Amino acid sequence: MINSKGMVAQLLGQDPGWVIALKGLLIFIFCVVLTIMAVWGERRIVARMQMRLGPNRVGIFGIIQGLADGVKLALKEDLIPKTADKIVFIIAPIISATTCFMAFAVIPLTGEVSFFGHKTVMQLTDLPVGVLYVLAIASVGVYGIVLAGWSSGSTYPLLGGLRSSAQVISYEVAMALSLVAVFIYAGSMSTSDIVVAQDRWWYAVILFPSFAIYCISMVGETNRAPFDLAEAEGELVGGFHTEYSSLKFALFFLAEYINILAVSSLATTLFLGGYRAFPGLGFTETWLGGWFTLFWFFAKVLIFFFVFVWLRGTLPRLRYDQFMQFGWKTLIPVSLAWILIVSTLRVMSDQGAPQYLIFGFAFAVVLIYLVISNYSDNAKAKLATDYKNFTPENPEFPIPISNRTEQVIQIRDEAKK
Amino acid sequence: MLTTPSFEYLLLSPMLIILAAAVIGVLAEAFLDRNHLPVIQLFISVGAILLALIQIYRIKSSSSTSAAIGSVVIDKATIYLQGTILIIGLLALLLISDQEQFVAQASAIPGSREEQESTSKGSIQTEIYPLLSFALAGMMLFTCASDLITLFVALEVFSLPLYLLAGLSRRRRLLSQEAALKYFLLGAYSSAFFLFGAAFLYGISGSVYLVDISSAVSGGYGNDVFVLIGLIFISVGLLFKISAVPFHAWTPDVYQGAPTSVTAFMAAATKVAAFGAILRIFYVVFSPIANQWRPIISVIAIITMVFGSAVAIAQRDVKRMLAYSSIAHAGFILTAVLALNKSGLSAALFYLTTYGLSTLAAFGIITLIRDATGEVTDLNKWAGLGKKSPLIAGSFAFLLLSFAGIPLTSGFIGKFAIFSAAYETGNIAVVVFGVLSSALAAFFYIRVILLMFVAQSQNDSISIAIPSVKSRIAIGATTAATVILGLFPSLLLNITQSFSIFIK
Amino acid sequence: MNPYVPILAIGAIGFGFAVFSVAIAFITGPKRYNRAKADAYECGIEPSPSAAGGGRFPVKYFLTAMLFIVFDIEIVFLYPWAVTFDQLGLFGLVEMILFIATVFVAYTYVWRRGGLEWD
Repeated sequence: MINSKGMVAQLLGQDPGWVIALKGLLIFIFCVVLTIMAVWGERRIVARMQMRLGPNRVGIFGIIQGLADGVKLALKEDLIPKTADKIVFIIAPIISATTCFMAFAVIPLTGEVSFFGHKTVMQLTDLPVGVLYVLAIASVGVYGIVLAGWSSGSTYPLLGGLRSSAQVISYEVAMALSLVAVFIYAGSMSTSDIVVAQDRWWYAVILFPSFAIYCISMVGETNRAPFDLAEAEGELVGGFHTEYSSLKFALFFLAEYINILAVSSLATTLFLGGYRAFPGLGFTETWLGGWFTLFWFFAKVLIFFFVFVWLRGTLPRLRYDQFMQFGWKTLIPVSLAWILIVSTLRVMSDQGAPQYLIFGFAFAVVLIYLVISNYSDNAKAKLATDYKNFTPENPEFPIPISNRTEQVIQIRDEAKK
Repeated sequence: MLTTPSFEYLLLSPMLIILAAAVIGVLAEAFLDRNHLPVIQLFISVGAILLALIQIYRIKSSSSTSAAIGSVVIDKATIYLQGTILIIGLLALLLISDQEQFVAQASAIPGSREEQESTSKGSIQTEIYPLLSFALAGMMLFTCASDLITLFVALEVFSLPLYLLAGLSRRRRLLSQEAALKYFLLGAYSSAFFLFGAAFLYGISGSVYLVDISSAVSGGYGNDVFVLIGLIFISVGLLFKISAVPFHAWTPDVYQGAPTSVTAFMAAATKVAAFGAILRIFYVVFSPIANQWRPIISVIAIITMVFGSAVAIAQRDVKRMLAYSSIAHAGFILTAVLALNKSGLSAALFYLTTYGLSTLAAFGIITLIRDATGEVTDLNKWAGLGKKSPLIAGSFAFLLLSFAGIPLTSGFIGKFAIFSAAYETGNIAVVVFGVLSSALAAFFYIRVILLMFVAQSQNDSISIAIPSVKSRIAIGATTAATVILGLFPSLLLNITQSFSIFIK
Repeated sequence: MNPYVPILAIGAIGFGFAVFSVAIAFITGPKRYNRAKADAYECGIEPSPSAAGGGRFPVKYFLTAMLFIVFDIEIVFLYPWAVTFDQLGLFGLVEMILFIATVFVAYTYVWRRGGLEWD
């Protein structure tokens, strides 16, 4: 059993080369197979939600539909537009596909297992800055998107790449901020140590606001519905990969799904106790051996994946400005406030502050929240009445500031005539 | 286990006050009514500077190396330099608050309808005040930083606002924006050099603290090549800021393009701050290996003096001419770095103060000479200015004489002090070149004086604006200081002598 | 073994796979040249010679990028603080509140001056 910090790092330090190579290969295969199955699973689930059947022809229940799609794509013509920047055009999908696998290197998939007679854990490596590494790799992945959009030499991909990268970096801020509370509680940035630290309570329970912010921003981060503005068919055709065909397109597709799996795995690791069993089922590990923990990890990741599909089947897409404003004006300040609240409460309890002080602080926070929400409600109500009172003679029309001067001038010019 | 660091807040308070004022200024920009902002911002900035000056006075005899976990050294020289920067900042602020020189909306494209709209509305980019405060705080930190990282952060904190300020001129927008961009790109480039050098010094000493680097250097680590590479690259970053040749290319363009009052601030305060850091680094860290860098810095000092003086002769624009003159002056002050003794340090402090004040006054006077399109910086149009306004032209002439180092002006005393200090430690070649290029420089200063007083004016389009009270105070005080320090230099020399102490 | 070596291993596997895919598609796919196919796709209308704005990113995009960097730097400072939170205690909390408040001032400035409006 792994029950103390730093144990995993020690265990992994003893891995011989062949174990590392084999683990790397296994993780790679795991990602690819899971992606192929996820594509099929998503289509089946969405189909059910829309009262359809979904793909059911290739294999039993259509189970190898994803593989068939892949083979089909490999047999398609590989087009490069003549306006494209050829080298960058080819490099971009390679960047995307390479980085998405790398994020999995630090995710602990199981507890202690016997790997062909060698005692280890199913985790490629354990870094003291594991989570930071995942975020860094995710940021490098953005290059794939930006470069793909730019190098296509075409309008839609450019706009799509622009939106996509703006979206990813915007939501990455909220995502990274939501993790701070986890680090405060775990006292470490290593993924395995964070799992170890969740032996009594999952952080999804004690740090619920962090968990909620992470879940929202991970959907934004991966460009998935309802935040899939970069691929808004009605506006931008396919977004940054409009000009891609054949296996280069498949690589982007693969990268998108592996990214979904990666953020889900990270959520599982940081908030849902990683490979730990569901509450009350901890005996399974002792009875069935360490490998059974892989099942729990999978189960949690697949729950997240199901939620992704569920969101896609249920919610309409957001408007771009609403989406960005939600990220910048709601998620980020809320994350910052939450960090301050958590840290203050923790310092209070560490320093042995009296109960009434802690309650007083909590009460003050609630009070401040009420004042702010009242203020913003008033602002919204005022905006609504402003819209109602609009006439051409009253140019104080409540429109976004950036358009205001233009519009006001227009209205004034018309009034003069 | 981590130990909680401790800070000596009293010693840091001048910087903290200015930084707090900058932050409050940003908040004011965000929330207050734009019509009242100019007054409020001026009040915040001036108030903060006065408060900081009071604090400087209160800590004037204290010193400490552990004010902020070893990253900041507060010693006599620091306090003197910080005080000088604050006084220059205060006077520059008075010039800057004459709003007419600043653009109404910096983000508007020059000549666009948006720009006309905001100009006719009379709006003002009041961000200049917080930006100036940030720059001031950065400069103050730059003079006292005692580790490479703090030094770099301070460098950026004072540079970035200056890049922005350079682009805010109300008239000749494109020239101003070009100046800002040039300044920014070259500045970023020189910062990279600085960082590269810092990396080498960290490499040989294993520490970013100047104290440790100093002992590693004097301990003869056997990696003398790397010490030298680190030294040279760090020097490039710093010499860029004081615009020593061959890192001077930005100076004339930026001095010309930036709003004149910002140029005044930049010319005066940046020199003080950057020389503060250079003096500290060479006096504290690299003095043990002086034999290795003295030739390099000597050559740079000589070509800076000669080049600055020679090229200034060809200039037809007052601001460009003063820019080249400031390059030449950078060379003179570099001579004090070469002196490497207490009298050299004292002379440098004296020179920085007097030069800073005279420069402020000179650029302040330039803001007053106008025609219908704004300031007139073309020298040809200055012909006959002496008849129009003897007082203004006379003061300007006096300031030029001070730059030239004619006796009875503060410039003479400064040059004399520096050259004699450098002579003491045997830098005879540099001193000879310094004296020669001073003579060369005197030529073009006197040419401008002749132009103003002897030449016939070609047209009457230029006029001399009646200065506002604020400008009057700034220009009057700085000119008066130049006169008084020329006549009674011991007033300041005594102070600089007692304040010229660096501690490790 | 250095804990960063396995990362190189999986990176190499992923990179190899990606390069292999790009290369194999070049071989397996048909190559039937057609002038229209090499044009940029613009929903069937005659494509413009280059992407919108000459293929350059609009300057507003860089505003978002800069805001991102501001907050990313904030996060860079928050993480080490969070990890050593229990050791720094009250001192760390006070310093961090000051830091967050300072960044928040910049944030409110950007918000009030319309930097957080997208269209």
